[in-house]
Amino acid sequence: METGLPPVDASRLPEDALEDTMRESAARERREKLRMFLTSWQGMTGLVLVLVFFASAIFAPWLAPYDPNALNIPARLSSPTAEHWAGTDQLGRDTFSRILYGGRVALKIAAIGVSVSLVVGLILGMMAGFGPRWLDNLLLLLFDTVRAFPTIILALATVALTGPSLELVLAIVIITSIPQYARVARTATLSLKSADFIIAERSLGASTPRILFQHVMPNVVGPLLILAAMEVPVVVTVEAGLSFLGLGVLPPTASWGTILNEGYLVIRDTPWMVIAGGVPLILTTLGFTFLGEALRDIFDPRMGKGR
Amino acid sequence: MAKDTTGDEATLLDIRNLSVDFRTPRGRVKALRDVSFAVPRGKFVGVVGESGSGKSTVLWSILGLLAGNAEVTSGQILFGERDMLRLSEEAMRAARGEEISVVFQDPMTSQIPVLSYARQMRDILYRRRGMSAAEKRRRGIAMLEKVGIPDPGERVDQYPHQFSGGMRQRAGIAMALLTEPNLLLADEPTTALDVTMEAQIIHLLQELQTEFDATVVVVSHNLGLIAELCDQVVVMYAGEVVETGDVRSIFHAPQHPYTRALLECDPARIAERSRRLPVIPGDIPDLTRPLGGCIFADRCPRAMEVCRAETPPDHATPAGGIARCHLVAGPHADAAWPPPADVATVRAGEGGGARRASPDAGTAPVLEVEDLNVRFPTMGSLSARLKGVKDPFVDAVLDVSLSVREGETVGLVGESGSGKTTLGRAVLHLVASQGGSVRFGGEEIRTMREGRFKPLRRDMAMMFQDPVGSLSPRKSVRALITEPLQIHGIDTDLDAEAERLAGLVRLPKAFLSRYPHELSGGQARRVGVARALALNPRLIIADEPTAGLDVSVQGEILNLMAELQAEHGLGYLVITHNLPVVRHISDRLAIMYLGRIVEQGDAEAIFAEPAHPYTEALVRGVPQPDPDRRRTHVSISGEVPSLVNRPTGCDFVGRCPYAQERCRIEKPRHRVQEDGRVHACHFPLR
Amino acid sequence: MIYLTKRLGLSAAVILLVVAVLFSLLHLIPGDPATIALGPRATPEAIARYAAKMHLDEPVWTQFLIYVGNALTGDLGVDVFSDRPVATIIGERLGFTLALVCAGLGWAVLLGVPLGCLAAVRPNTALDRVTGLLSVGTIAVPSFLVSIWALLIFAVGLGWLPAIGAGEPGDLGDQLRHLVLPAFAIGLSWVGYLARMVRASMLEVMGETYIRSARAFGLRPRRVVFGYALRVAILPTVTLIGMGFGGLISSTVFAEIIFARPGLGKLIFDAVMARNFPIVQGGVLVATALYIVVVLLSDLIVAWLDPRVRETL
Repeated sequence: METGLPPVDASRLPEDALEDTMRESAARERREKLRMFLTSWQGMTGLVLVLVFFASAIFAPWLAPYDPNALNIPARLSSPTAEHWAGTDQLGRDTFSRILYGGRVALKIAAIGVSVSLVVGLILGMMAGFGPRWLDNLLLLLFDTVRAFPTIILALATVALTGPSLELVLAIVIITSIPQYARVARTATLSLKSADFIIAERSLGASTPRILFQHVMPNVVGPLLILAAMEVPVVVTVEAGLSFLGLGVLPPTASWGTILNEGYLVIRDTPWMVIAGGVPLILTTLGFTFLGEALRDIFDPRMGKGR
Repeated sequence: MAKDTTGDEATLLDIRNLSVDFRTPRGRVKALRDVSFAVPRGKFVGVVGESGSGKSTVLWSILGLLAGNAEVTSGQILFGERDMLRLSEEAMRAARGEEISVVFQDPMTSQIPVLSYARQMRDILYRRRGMSAAEKRRRGIAMLEKVGIPDPGERVDQYPHQFSGGMRQRAGIAMALLTEPNLLLADEPTTALDVTMEAQIIHLLQELQTEFDATVVVVSHNLGLIAELCDQVVVMYAGEVVETGDVRSIFHAPQHPYTRALLECDPARIAERSRRLPVIPGDIPDLTRPLGGCIFADRCPRAMEVCRAETPPDHATPAGGIARCHLVAGPHADAAWPPPADVATVRAGEGGGARRASPDAGTAPVLEVEDLNVRFPTMGSLSARLKGVKDPFVDAVLDVSLSVREGETVGLVGESGSGKTTLGRAVLHLVASQGGSVRFGGEEIRTMREGRFKPLRRDMAMMFQDPVGSLSPRKSVRALITEPLQIHGIDTDLDAEAERLAGLVRLPKAFLSRYPHELSGGQARRVGVARALALNPRLIIADEPTAGLDVSVQGEILNLMAELQAEHGLGYLVITHNLPVVRHISDRLAIMYLGRIVEQGDAEAIFAEPAHPYTEALVRGVPQPDPDRRRTHVSISGEVPSLVNRPTGCDFVGRCPYAQERCRIEKPRHRVQEDGRVHACHFPLR
Repeated sequence: MIYLTKRLGLSAAVILLVVAVLFSLLHLIPGDPATIALGPRATPEAIARYAAKMHLDEPVWTQFLIYVGNALTGDLGVDVFSDRPVATIIGERLGFTLALVCAGLGWAVLLGVPLGCLAAVRPNTALDRVTGLLSVGTIAVPSFLVSIWALLIFAVGLGWLPAIGAGEPGDLGDQLRHLVLPAFAIGLSWVGYLARMVRASMLEVMGETYIRSARAFGLRPRRVVFGYALRVAILPTVTLIGMGFGGLISSTVFAEIIFARPGLGKLIFDAVMARNFPIVQGGVLVATALYIVVVLLSDLIVAWLDPRVRETL
């Protein structure tokens, strides 16, 4: 690789040195983004709520004051008291403990559901965007078909056949959210496919896998991760909703949905159960929404709120 | 004709000491500092400057439509009796569109896509309460006719996307003139247009100005356009007016070193063909910092000590303008300044050297293209069947033959849609080609499978039009310039290689850890060159190598390319629409029109004496940066037709001023003249 | 024409695939399709009749074609319990669902779109911040929780509005009062969703050069915002309303169940609980078709509003 030209002494070039000071360095930009995040109350509130969600779900066995399934009939349908912070249900079970354990179900569904659909959606989306036209059309048709089933309707149709279960909830969550990720990944890939830098890579002789994994994927993953943060509330809500309808987690397992379900049945006797079952759900969805919004504003201002 | 609201003074618009700041995350950018100039009634005034000069900011200040983070810190903009900076929003709005109107840079983005022209024009006339809707429509149609739109009665109901680029700009001018404003502002009115269209728009603006007796302010970086159109010129640099004067004194006897350097850098002005183009070294100063002394001092070839310490006052020039320079007058004046017009004040790049003789015809060609064809489908096969279209294809490249020899630069010139980029990409298998042959070093490569072709990619590199956009955004410069080595599995010390390549293109080592978005256009361009050179290619296909670069820096890249060519015997295929540039760097030229090469031959000879009428139109179409060489007529009319409607006869027949019956019927074949000139014309001009 | 043909073809293909999915769900489950379809409580006669009608002895491919043919002619089978045609039963209930959907989406559009516009016109003002906070807040609260809490507060707690049912047939006032809470519940998150959507696309459009042109021609701000910016910004919003319609159907199912409103969602839910498969199948098909039609409509509206696409329509 010898070309015979002597290297040029860069210090002789004042114009570049000048430019150098004018332009922001990458490190400075990263610091600036971190600072933006840390000073946005939305992002911080979101972060705190999300951390609380994770911690309470993971450490539920140590945090819960009672066994979530321990019956205590004499204390049934109690309002919040010093012993039962969130009251008790119609069987006298401690609602606060059940909320903590319910968070474990939500976390499990969210973690598995979001990560599986993210990965599958990314792969399918990149295939659709980068592959031949017929593959794109076929995958789009499939995505459209899946999206044509409103989530709950699809859940109802399958539950009618298989009966309710946690695995079913997970399957439905994954199936219905894959098209979301795939569409975002496809759009991003498609716009990159004809981008100059991809053509430049091809002109150098880069192989398709190299282009896909080295040059396309890093530019597609960002928006998908932001979407994932925004999708967690959806997944948690779907689980709670299906369990509320009796189509998901089955009693006596504690889930926010089953707490709401049981609370709905006794809504004329006590308001506390539907309140207690709803609050953690709202806090979790709020937390992830805030976090997702803040991340999006910082990393991809075009996608969201403008300035 | 124009409404008289400003008394009978000779000055219509008077900008005094205007200063504008922009609040940015990096701090306050002092975008305009103490800008003053006057616009006399009934004249064309040109505001010229490179990117970052603040010329557009001046224009938007006049209209009170600066971006939200802008702040006018001082000054006056007197429009007749009124100070536009102190008018109420209401009064300001009454003036906009009615007394002051604008022709915008890009007609593609400046016209709302969802409303018809009739509707847009009616909206502009909304203040004319006395006028009925039908009258407004009639006025719109009349104005469209005046700017040269055929069938205005029908076309007025069409939407912008149904107009071609040139037609859109005409419609944009019609809308600006609809209210017969006193003052017309034109923001880079031809920058988004092709050469032949540019000539037509310039001509139209001249005609209309005479007819409406309007006062026009043209903002542009294009010296040719300014020289062609304007009576008076304001030269801006980095947010300051450095010189004003009438057009002849500015172009023939510039007083400020920047004006002088800018003119010297314009390849269209350089009569003598040379490989080395002059450049103004350096970059515009950081406007967020406190500024002292002359704004141009850091780049000025004549900078003195006083220039860095003391801001020069606005000295009067002999021709009645002003120049903000110590050399012109005062205690530091230099009687020998400015030197005679033929003395260069800026260096013509490093290395220097006379123009090397072109490689003689005996050298074996590196690249030979013969009858190459590239077809694109215009619609899906299903739609074609539905519509009953038998041949749903267009010929983007049609029977193209050309060759590039070692050490030779071939310029491939054409307007947008001519297929020049497609041709370049087809050679490198980036676009599928359908017929003909492409030989590299004598070996047929067109039909080669990618597996066999890949090793040959080491010998053929490409430079892309968009310098930043052609770099993978999440890779560092180091990764980017060593990537070709990795792709081809070359086992070497990548870090050392990265530094060597950076040195080769004069990119400081510190830049190796940067990412593409942290680079300026010129720096990104150098990274592109480094990538192209990484594998020691024999041929480089350069697509618009100077696109997006200012006149004062484009020479750096071209000089670098020339230097590397001299050193390595590289063959260049330079694809461009920029005739003045291509004239300086090419040994041979190929002119493309609608996918065909219409003329090919020695570059100098083609410029001196074109054979094809289209070539003539291109060569004459470039506005000359010389107010004494204004054109009185436009050589060709119309626009490049769509590939879908390729004429049966000669492709150029619809626009050719010399077209005859035979041209309409028979497609001219390529013919070779004695001196090797190839053309496709039944009635060549020589 | 091309666009219309393509778009209609795509919708037809999706509906066909949906039918195929529903058909195969029934056949993928091990066991006798007739028994699964009609449920354990079906009489042997009903099973025999179903088997004959669906040609269960024929190859699966033939069965599929028959199934599709029936569905296309509006024959969705017969209710296991009442022996009434499924199409008739769905027809009786669909009106309640459509009324709820229209009411819910209607108030959300009427409030959300202007809010989004106002926020976009005055970015970073108090109004904008409040709208932004409201949007995020309402989007984050799941609609079924809104239903439950609205029921708790306004029906159970305050007793202002009726808790369950759809009102006396024929009594419009009563029906409207029964509509208020469910419509509020399913529309609430849409207010935020729309406001945010409109704001984002308005802000984007307001930054376009042609908006600056309109201002440079001195047009009134009102005209620039509503005649120019909104005219363009509404296009992506309509598309998003269409795409979000699936979510709206899901919320409707919840609202109907929680407020015991006899709509399509409640019908399907009850049928699932009773393992009344013909109703489930028919109901799911209608709900899905409804969504596909709405998406198609929204696309056509966008195409019609945008002259660039209208040409190819």
